[in-house]
Amino acid sequence: MTSKLTRSLIYWAILSPLVVVILFPFGVMFVTAVRPREELFVYPPTWGFTEFRWENFSEMWVKTNFGGALLNSLYVSIAATAVALLLSIPAAYAMSRYRFAGKGAYRTFLLMTQMMSPIVLVLGLFRLMMALGLVNDLNSLVLTYAAFNMAFTIWMLQSYFNSIPRDLEEAAWMDGASHLTSLVRIFLPLAVPAVVVTAIFTFINSWNEFVLALTMMRSSEDFTLPVQIYAQVAGRYQVEWHHVMAATVLATVPVAIVFSWLQRYLIRGMALGAVK
Amino acid sequence: MANRIQKAVPLMMILPGLLLAITIIGYPIIDLAWTSMQDVSRFGKLTGFNGGANYAEVFADPLFWGSLWRTGIWTVAVVGGTLVISMPVAMILNDDFYGRGLARVIIMLPWAISLTMTAVVWRWALNGRAGLLNATLMNAGIIDQPIEWLATANTAFVVEILVGILVSIPFTTTILLGGLSSMPQDAYEAAVVDGASGWDQFRHITLPLMKPFINIAIVLNVIYVFNSLPIIWVMTEGGPANGTDILVTYLYKLAFRFGQLGKAAAISLVMFLVLLAFTMLYVALVSRNDRDDAAPEEEVDA
Amino acid sequence: MSSVTIRGVTKRYGALPVLHGIDLEIRDREFVVLVGPSGCGKSTLLRMIAGLETISSGDILIGDRVVNDVPAKARDIAMVFQNYALYPHMSVYENMSFSLRLKRTAKDVIDRKVREAADILNLSKFLDRSPRQLSGGQRQRVAMGRALVRDAQVFLFDEPLSNLDAKLRVVMRTEIKALHQRLQTTSVYVTHDQIEAMTMADRIVVMNAGRIEQIGTPLELYDTPANLFVADFIGSPSMNFLLGTLEQGAVTLADGSRLPVAAAPQVAAGRKVVFGIRPEHLALSDDDNGLAAEVEVVEPTGANIQVYAKVAGMPLCAVFNERHDFRPGQVIRLTWSPRQAHLFDEASGQRM
Repeated sequence: MTSKLTRSLIYWAILSPLVVVILFPFGVMFVTAVRPREELFVYPPTWGFTEFRWENFSEMWVKTNFGGALLNSLYVSIAATAVALLLSIPAAYAMSRYRFAGKGAYRTFLLMTQMMSPIVLVLGLFRLMMALGLVNDLNSLVLTYAAFNMAFTIWMLQSYFNSIPRDLEEAAWMDGASHLTSLVRIFLPLAVPAVVVTAIFTFINSWNEFVLALTMMRSSEDFTLPVQIYAQVAGRYQVEWHHVMAATVLATVPVAIVFSWLQRYLIRGMALGAVK
Repeated sequence: MANRIQKAVPLMMILPGLLLAITIIGYPIIDLAWTSMQDVSRFGKLTGFNGGANYAEVFADPLFWGSLWRTGIWTVAVVGGTLVISMPVAMILNDDFYGRGLARVIIMLPWAISLTMTAVVWRWALNGRAGLLNATLMNAGIIDQPIEWLATANTAFVVEILVGILVSIPFTTTILLGGLSSMPQDAYEAAVVDGASGWDQFRHITLPLMKPFINIAIVLNVIYVFNSLPIIWVMTEGGPANGTDILVTYLYKLAFRFGQLGKAAAISLVMFLVLLAFTMLYVALVSRNDRDDAAPEEEVDA
Repeated sequence: MSSVTIRGVTKRYGALPVLHGIDLEIRDREFVVLVGPSGCGKSTLLRMIAGLETISSGDILIGDRVVNDVPAKARDIAMVFQNYALYPHMSVYENMSFSLRLKRTAKDVIDRKVREAADILNLSKFLDRSPRQLSGGQRQRVAMGRALVRDAQVFLFDEPLSNLDAKLRVVMRTEIKALHQRLQTTSVYVTHDQIEAMTMADRIVVMNAGRIEQIGTPLELYDTPANLFVADFIGSPSMNFLLGTLEQGAVTLADGSRLPVAAAPQVAAGRKVVFGIRPEHLALSDDDNGLAAEVEVVEPTGANIQVYAKVAGMPLCAVFNERHDFRPGQVIRLTWSPRQAHLFDEASGQRM
């Protein structure tokens, strides 16, 4: 038996190349975001720079209309999450608690929609939104994100709901509670953590989505953050990389922190339901 | 009577979500199938049935075959590379060691960040003149001239595959970790008592028991990677000279750059069918696992 | 308080029958235990009384009212669940008062009833705790308390002691029995443990494979089991069964040993029968006339010794209160009072 210390050193040695490669883009992001513009293109290229230019962030905020894109992203992500949960909670409850005709078929349907990627359907979706008059309308993203996330949210919620013992609700019925009462006073309070975790993951998924936002939003004041940042890079002769990197820092770091804090719940949910 | 209402309750609960899914996911499929058999103007107007002309055009297009070929390489390389790296990583993360929590957080980090942002950062990091990858490699003395990573299709595609692997590792590791954490500990203890070495344990216990999880990781990754647009789109937009185009980037260009909607719809449908095949495979795998795990639901007697 | 009547009740899950037609009359104030092996349908029957499972056919009556279509919440039944089913987000007090609060009972009445019940169950100190902070035995008591405050017509217990350790189980067994003697509420209690059934029940219902094998008081089941299943299930260690042939006033085994029985039933001689004798009814013979048994294993329990032996190739267990120093291989001679012997028809398994 090797000691825990030896083992830890070996493991970290094995993981270190991967860790370096994962952290490398973060380093690039920070170092570029805070360096003076005139030090972007020096030869030979170098990590070093002469001073921290924190004004990059405020300049970027104005020049790239970061605030507007931020608000768009927030609106779309929050609304999509709300719609997805509103529709998923009853569905997940039905999947977890009832036996009904067509349950198997519905499960298969969910699995299929989980596999359907927006990109394959993007042309059809665009034509659908045209027909509905929702192109250039953030609500088109709300609906599509909600629909594409629902398979995930239902699976996630269902696997958590399954872990809430059924006999708690039965006990409530025996105590004289109606189905609705037992749902509101017994089940939902116990389901809150699951709902919160699922909501946050749905939010992050929506926050990060690119293809649909790029397609549906044709005018720059409707761009969400990923599209807005992409627009600073694509098809431009002169890219203001220090601004782009400052924007990516602001757009990713809060999400990354929340995600890091929650990732173990994701592992648990996956282990409980989606995979097994 | 009361019975019938009770039976309707679960259906009422799933119905609203089902309707949304059918509208947003089901309808476009039908529309694509319809569009793919029509002449379509630049502005999306259907101008008449043309049989399989769009499909014929697609199959006669060398760029389609090139993209298809690269899609195969892209998918196999990314999925294979991801699995080869994720398996040992998952096994390490499943074991107890100092700093495991931190290691888990770092390994999972790429998952939290949108592919778009990751690709934007790499595009800058790979910049031929000022990119910090060149800076790092030159400092380390590995190269003495900056390399224009994204300027030639070959290096660009390799780099894109590597980035693809990097962002697929967290998800794959998560699935494998879920499998590893459900491994029966006593099987390992029994194996140790029976005199099995570490390699024997891996070969005869871990691998066979992990097989369903590995299968699912492969199928899901194939589906995700096959469909992944942002990395290649942001880094090279399929260029230079279509040299890094895969089906999704080519499809996107046809639809939203060149306005060849009929042809784009035809490619979408071809991709949809490929995807459907993989999805069927996945459904079969999942329901097989379900069946194996299914405990009798009914009798509550202990 | 109320009687419970079950008339021709069956249960199917799809095509799979689980209960084959149960008839059972539970009298007012009675403590009835449903006992049987796993999967015999006893819990299903209990949950049908509770209203948690639908009835495929037949009737269930509480008092004079048919409750087939009455939902669980309106049956006025209290139930103690196997895993207690305490609401984890409520304190002990809130758990116990939940049903009364649903009924909008006056606050002071709730408070009085909860405190009374807590007092009876020794829970007064724990009313503000959450279930998480309680030991298994305390959780069990809270589950009982939740039933107690209700003044329900019927109490149902679904293996309530199976999650407790052996010692605590004995204590709680006595407490539940004492509680019933005090409250006299009609109770139906499900267990797979025949000792629980014997010690607690007014009457026991032995179930097997979706059918009732026998209904009776504990001593009736012990003294006159209706068939081989009940004979085997009730009593510990189990009754010995020796296969033989019935001939005037005795059963002849394969090796020619003759086992005397009381009044030989009026059946043709030569009939194949199963001779049953409980281990505690066997005694050492004073002379060499008893049944020869070859000792294989001796297990002292302290209070008595259990001897496992072979008779004509068949296993046999005997329990002696006196201490004997038997060795494996030793042949002992056993005797018994013919009144305590049981005879079963081999083909049907029924008592003769």
